[in-house]
Formats: sequence, structure tokens, C-alpha cells
Amino acid sequence: MNKIKLGVLLVLCVASVAVFAKEITGLKVIENVYNRPTAKDQSSDLTMTLINRRGDSRTRKIKQFLKVYANEEKKIMFFVSPSDVKNTSFMNISYNDESKPDDQWIFLPALKKVKRISSESSSDSFMGSDFTYDDLGERHPNEDTHKILRTETLQNEECFVVESIPKDKEELYSKTVTWIIKDKWIGLKKEFYDEDEELLKMLTNESYKKVSNYWVIVNSTMANVQSGHRTEMKLENLELDKGIEDGQFSERMMKRGL
Amino acid sequence: MLNNRITAFFIMSTIMLSTVFASPDISGYYRNYIGGFINGDYSIIQNALNLNIESSGSNYAFKVNPYIYSYDDKPLEMGVREAYVDLYFDSVDLRIGKQQIIWGKADGVFITDVISPKNMSDFLLPDFEEIRTGITAIKYNYYFEDSTLEIVGVPYFTPTQMPESGSPWLLSPSFPVKPTYDYSQKKVPAQLANGEVFVKYSALNSLMDYELMFGSMWDDDPTMHVDKTISASMVTAITVTPKHHRLNLVGGSISTELLGVVLRAESAYYQGKYFNSNNPSLLDGVIQKDYIHSLLGVDGSLWGMTMSGQWISKMILNYDNSIVNDEVDNTLTLMIRKDLLRETLHLELFSYLGLNNSDALIRPKVTYDLDDGVKIIAGANWFIGTTGVFGSYDANDMVYTKVQVSF
Repeated sequence: MNKIKLGVLLVLCVASVAVFAKEITGLKVIENVYNRPTAKDQSSDLTMTLINRRGDSRTRKIKQFLKVYANEEKKIMFFVSPSDVKNTSFMNISYNDESKPDDQWIFLPALKKVKRISSESSSDSFMGSDFTYDDLGERHPNEDTHKILRTETLQNEECFVVESIPKDKEELYSKTVTWIIKDKWIGLKKEFYDEDEELLKMLTNESYKKVSNYWVIVNSTMANVQSGHRTEMKLENLELDKGIEDGQFSERMMKRGL
Repeated sequence: MLNNRITAFFIMSTIMLSTVFASPDISGYYRNYIGGFINGDYSIIQNALNLNIESSGSNYAFKVNPYIYSYDDKPLEMGVREAYVDLYFDSVDLRIGKQQIIWGKADGVFITDVISPKNMSDFLLPDFEEIRTGITAIKYNYYFEDSTLEIVGVPYFTPTQMPESGSPWLLSPSFPVKPTYDYSQKKVPAQLANGEVFVKYSALNSLMDYELMFGSMWDDDPTMHVDKTISASMVTAITVTPKHHRLNLVGGSISTELLGVVLRAESAYYQGKYFNSNNPSLLDGVIQKDYIHSLLGVDGSLWGMTMSGQWISKMILNYDNSIVNDEVDNTLTLMIRKDLLRETLHLELFSYLGLNNSDALIRPKVTYDLDDGVKIIAGANWFIGTTGVFGSYDANDMVYTKVQVSF
């Protein structure tokens, strides 16, 4: 009798694993990350520290505001330091429709006008850091083919390890591999591979916390393993769902500054 | 005198407001600039201090932008580029005082960007922030949805600042005999009736950014009225009278992204411009014509470089063959920029290419960010041709270095 019970249990376990494995695909994991509940709006102070192979560092400080709409996400950044880029602002609108490119504008105080810029340069470095503009934005799950490679424990968290290969072969990275916490749908670590499929960069999210019921990554490091350069990113003074007005994301505010 | 008093009032008021009622934020730069013509005819050693004294609250802001230039061979030059007060309301902003106002989508070309006059003391070589002259004005902005209505009132006229006498950047027109200059009509009296008004409607949205504008203004550049005394079929005396004339213009500009590149267009219709003419029967040697100034531009990235190209055309309508200027004048601009070493080394090439006279200004520049806020610049200005806007300066090829410390 016990053998029968054990057998039934075993069958149920195997069946549940099979069902689980069938339901959870790489795409589903990435979609869960993409669709993880986030605040409707947020503001924060972003500090980027650029550290070269010799340990010399340079710091960039930015005040940023973000608001999520039904079909789009608006972001505006005001550069606080270094002094030669102070009062420069940058606005980005990204769309849920992945076929629609982002709209981007920059305000340069010396030119005193807001200029539309091409979002095609999204693979360029962001302010000389190890992050590209693309790295800082959300990537739509449909832009890649995803596959769960394995499960693994990282920083005491059970993670799916998902490989994502761009459908567009002209993309900057040939593939990425992401460690995603199973129950929180947060990426803990991400590897970026170059066109020769050599490891290029590694993103490590060192700390995250729950603010107003949302998981938020507050400390991360992007390290270029080929050059030895790295960029540390820190979010401070985070405010969520404070009701940022629509007018914050406008040419008027780009020119006015902080 | 009135214009000086108005400017002084705004500057002093803004300085007092920004320093007394709020703790100002002070930023700016120090810059050392050493340059010289390749032929050895001219050199410049300039030290510049540019300060931005700013303060702001939820419904106001102040800014004063004083500058000092010191030279090895000239007296100290001091001034205030901007000094204004901003007042913010729900849907309205007001800016009152001395200010630089920039309109349009063109880079390095002035089509609808006509409010702030230019300082041409060193031709087009200084940074654009330094080329544009601040003017005393009231700027009203009304915001609704993604649109802005902007109205600018300029109580008195400020002309283009021309190169000083003896400057290598001063071009003197050639005449058969040495002319006499009569400056009695050059100045536009500072009266409200001689003020300028500009109106712009603009919008910035996903599809495109666009501006529609109108201006009732003075021509920033004086027309040279030429009175010739002819005796026995020979010109025996010439009197040149520089004079500013009123101009009206309507124009607009658009900018949009298509297939990964940004496309820009800008055009303005100028009504009532005076051109110099070779027709001896014309009074003062000038003729009034309308003209259209237009631009098409494209910005994008290729091979990791930022690139920008512009085609500019100036077309005189109802053209008269006696007019000194060409009926259609075409110019190209090209900008190529490459950032290296994590955006600390910047290679840039900016060029104006005059198609009518086969002349050009080629401006290669290397900038290295030694540290945050510290940059070293080395560059050259290479003039090609013998005639035209750029070819006329063929002897002025120069190299320079700059060290700039921002704080």
C-alpha cells in the first residue's frame, strides 16, 4: 500500500514538474520580468561612477523622472554633474509597440534649443559609461528568442538562467544570459556576449529592495570584462507613485531644468 | 541712451534679486585661447571667464551671465550676456530682461533664428553661445497640450556687431574711389515704435516637431546705400551710408525621425530686404526684393560616427540682374564626429561649403577631456577659395588651442 502511495506521489511529482516545465518557457520568464508590477511614476537621483582598469574614477549625477502610460513610457533626465554637462536634459518616450522606435530629444544649454535625436544610436555608450542607452531601457520580450538553460542558486536565491538571442542579427550583442529570481522576477545577473560570442560585459545587481510594494534594484555594476572598465550605478531618494504631472515630460521642463 | 538705461536696469535688478533674495548657484568656465594665422599676420591670446549666477524656486528663476575677456594687446572686455527673471505660472512662463532667444532647427545657419543678433567680431569662429548677442526683451510662453505659443517683444533694436576697424575679419567693399562713410542714419532710434515683435507656434510630439513663426523686425545687417558723384562719365566721389531697414518674415521648421535618421527642414520668406545693385540709375545703389532662405538637413550615425549634413539655399525673388548677390546661393554644411576613449576624446570636422563660389571653411577639432570639467582643444580654421563668404578670408587660415576649466 505504501509502495502504491509512494508511486502515486512520484508520478504526481514528475507530472507537476512536467507541467511546470511545460508552462514556464524562457519567453514566459522574460515576460514575467517585463510585466513585473512597477510604479506608475518614479523619481530618483542616479549616480554613475566610471572606474577604469587603474582604479581612476569619474562621477556623473542625474536627476530622473519616469512615468508609465497605457501604451508608452516617458522618461526625462537632468544632468547635474560634471559641471560641463550641467543643465543638459534628455527625454525619451518608448512605446509598447516594439515596432515603433523611441522618440528622443536633448537640450544643450549652450545651444538653448531642444533637438530631436535619432534613437538608432541606442547602442552607443551612455555618458561614457559601460551602459548603452539600450542597456538602460526595457527590452521587449519579442525582440529575442529565449531559452531556459538551467536553474541555479545565486545570492541564496533560486534563479532561472535564461539565454536570449536577438532575432535581429545586426544587434550589438550576439546573446545575453540572465539569472532571474523565480518568485520575484528580478534579474540578479546578466552576461552580454559580443558578436564573436565572447563574454563582453557582466551586469550584477548588488542590492534591491521593496519600496511601496515594488521591487526596485538600487545598486548595480556593469563590468566590461574585456577592457577592465566598470560602472557602478546607485539609485537614491527614490519616490514612487507620487503623481508626477504629465507636464514634467515636456520641452518646457527640458529647458527649465531642475 | 534709453536702451542702455533699460538694459542696465534689468541687469542690476536681476543681480540684486539673484544675490539678495536667494542663494545663487554659481557655475561657469575659465578658458585660455591661443591662436594665430598660418601666414603670421595675426595672433590672439585670450583669457575668458564666463559666469552663470542662477537661482530658482517653484515659480521663479533668475540668471545673470557676466563675462570677461582679457587680451595681450587689447583692453579688458567685460559684459553681461544674459540677465533675466523668469516667472512661472500654470500654463504661462514670462522671461523679462536681457536674453538669448534661439529658434529653428538649423545648426550654424540663421534662417528663422533671427531674434538675437550676431556678434561677428571674429566671423563665425567663436562658440555659438558667444556669437549670439543677448537682447532686452519680454518673452511670453503659453503652453497647451504638446504645443507652445511664444510671443517676444523687443523694445529697441540691436544690430549685428561687426568686426572692429583694423580687424582681419572686417571685409571692406571695393569701390573705384575711396568712399566717404556717413553714419548719421545707421542708428535706429530707441523708441517703442521701432521695436520688434516675433510670434511662434510650436509643437513637439511623436510624429514630428514643428515651428511656425512670424517676425516684424529690423534687418540686423545694415544696407550700404551708395551715392556716386559722376563727372565726365567718371566716378569722382562715393558716399556710403549704412542704414537698417525693417523686414517682415514668415517661416517654419520641422524635424522628424525616419528610418533611423533625423530629417530637418526650415524655411523663411523675407519681405522687403534691400540688396546692393550695380544699376547706375538706381537711387543709392540699392533695390528692394523679397527672398526665401531654406534648409534641408539630415542627422544620423554611420560607422560609429555622428554625422550631420545640411543644404542651404537663399533665393532672391523677382530677380534683377544688376543685383550684386547671386539669384540663388547654395551652401552645404557637413559635420562628422567620433567619440573615443569612453567619450573623453572627441574628433570633429565641421565644414561650410559654398557652392556658388567654390569656397569653404573647414574646421577640424580635437577635444580631450583631461578630467571632469577640464578639456583641451586643438583645431584649425581653413578657408578655401578666393571669393564668396568663406573664400574672402583665404588669408586667414589659422590654428589654435584652447584649455577650458568648467566649475
